[in-house]
Amino acid sequence: MHLLSVQNLLMSFESPRGQTQPVLRVPAFCLAHGEQVALRGPSGSGKTTFLHLLAGVLSPLSGEILIDGNRLDLLKEGQRDRLRAGLIGYVFQSFNLLTGFTCLENLILAMSLTGSPKIDRARSMLDAVGLADRANFFPGQLSIGQQQRVAVARALVNQPKLVLADEPTGNLDPGNTDRVLSLLCALCREWGSSLLVVSHDQRVINGFDRKIEWRELNEVSFDEKGVE
Amino acid sequence: MKWSSCKVSLWLAGRSLRQNPLSTLVAVFTISLSGGLFLGAWKTKQSVNLAFAHSAGGFDAVLGARGSKLQLVLNALFHMESSPGNLPWEQYVSIREHPGVSEAYPFALGDNYMGRRLVGTVPEMFLRHQWKPGRKYQVSSPGRIFSESAKEALVGSQAAADLRLKPGDHFHPYHGLEYSPERKHSDLYLVVGVLEATGTPADQVIWIPIRGVQTMEGHDPSASDSISGVLLNLKGSSGLALDVKYNRQGDRATLAWPVPAILSSFFNRFSWLERAIASLALLMGIAGGLIILATLRSTMHERRREFAVLRCMGANRWLVTGSILWQAVLLSGLGSLGSLLVHLVLSEAVSLLMESQIGVGMDLPLLDGTVFSTGAGILFLGLTSAWLPARSLYRSNLQESLNPHG
Repeated sequence: MHLLSVQNLLMSFESPRGQTQPVLRVPAFCLAHGEQVALRGPSGSGKTTFLHLLAGVLSPLSGEILIDGNRLDLLKEGQRDRLRAGLIGYVFQSFNLLTGFTCLENLILAMSLTGSPKIDRARSMLDAVGLADRANFFPGQLSIGQQQRVAVARALVNQPKLVLADEPTGNLDPGNTDRVLSLLCALCREWGSSLLVVSHDQRVINGFDRKIEWRELNEVSFDEKGVE
Repeated sequence: MKWSSCKVSLWLAGRSLRQNPLSTLVAVFTISLSGGLFLGAWKTKQSVNLAFAHSAGGFDAVLGARGSKLQLVLNALFHMESSPGNLPWEQYVSIREHPGVSEAYPFALGDNYMGRRLVGTVPEMFLRHQWKPGRKYQVSSPGRIFSESAKEALVGSQAAADLRLKPGDHFHPYHGLEYSPERKHSDLYLVVGVLEATGTPADQVIWIPIRGVQTMEGHDPSASDSISGVLLNLKGSSGLALDVKYNRQGDRATLAWPVPAILSSFFNRFSWLERAIASLALLMGIAGGLIILATLRSTMHERRREFAVLRCMGANRWLVTGSILWQAVLLSGLGSLGSLLVHLVLSEAVSLLMESQIGVGMDLPLLDGTVFSTGAGILFLGLTSAWLPARSLYRSNLQESLNPHG
């Protein structure tokens, strides 16, 4: 039984000149419970759009997305919001921590979206990423690597079944890349969360058992799509 | 602890305002000023109307020389404007004996001390007359009412405070209603008492015996039997008969009656002011709404990415929309409180000015229907202004918001 399965997923955008521009066409993709997968592809090839579709942030033109038994593509926006809050953790390349909130508050905010935040749990998550002593710091007071560790903690604080990471190490130096990536994988393993990481960095990809080339998954070629 | 979307969106809204202190301050300040000015102008107008109506000093009518009733009322009761002319003493005696008159006090004007009017009258007025139901004039201790035949003065509380006059002091009156140093009379008056404050124009003047004004050195001896008018209280419906007698059949005097109706006609002259205030309120309302709109749009623009991130984390429509609406509520709520503050300061300033200039104090409740309506109006405007941006924020393209540069 897969946690996530995708069938005949099709997505296109309208160009400024009003033409329909295909972005991705994924015949099939699946992710098992607890599985960790890396998806490699060049920048601007539609990987982020794919993650947004899996997270229910975007609606596909056609196709089927099944997450934990829920047909995401058939859900209304509000239902997708609920499902996303409860099932999915998202890690961004640029961390996207809320700058006006402390590290602890960023985690509490993420927890409050699912219902009831538990401060102890938020603190233990920060402890798990080695930032217990930075709980009351604002993101601007942290180093780049520390910010991404908070972002990882925030994505995992609700113990999501699926973690989607979009170029999570794209802004990090090699040292921080290794640290954040191993942390992300270890925590997902600990919580039993499935992890899908997209990256253009071979160094990141190498750390995963299952690696997928985006061009093999997506039938839309760069030529067909033009520059994104 | 159950966290609802409402609570989280309030948290987000509060934090957003704190993160943008300058724009928050500007928005709240402008809304406060708009609301406060409107409230101040509106309530001041109400207060002035009410204050004038309640400050007639407990008199029903004024008998004076032929002329404008309004001028007579303003001159006799509010010590404003000049007297329309004089009446012979016999007119006073005649109306005093009229069966429809319960009280009649002659008064004479024509002099001042340092710009404060000297009003000549009879001591009985301070003994018998109730300037407010159940309230007679009181003289502060030590002190007494002037004697009818002496050069003595009883000073209104405000006049005494401003001129620093106290019992035992002496002063020379000046001729005319306006102070002019070269028009000093040689008569010397002794202050024998200071009236306790009444909040009426009686506080603003210096009271002396009527004979004093009539026989003041330098005054025309032929006017020694003249008076400026008579302050009256009437019995039952005798005003109508007196109105016919003096105003329709007679041609030597004017009876200004009833005082409230004359004052009301005075304020009707300012109905344009009400319309102007209403227009001002409308314009300020629009300005306030636009300010909230501009503040929220600028906040939303700055925080587009933040909201997109929240949506990726699972924030629902109510949380996103609610956060913007809460911001509007907080801004307009703070603006409402600010309006109240501006209004308070404004009202206090106007009240002090009125009391010092014409002796009429404003006495309206601090919180009344107008205040609550204005506050509710500001909140309504804030929410209305925020509604569209709030809706558009949830519908904005997440992909673009997350990657605004490409």
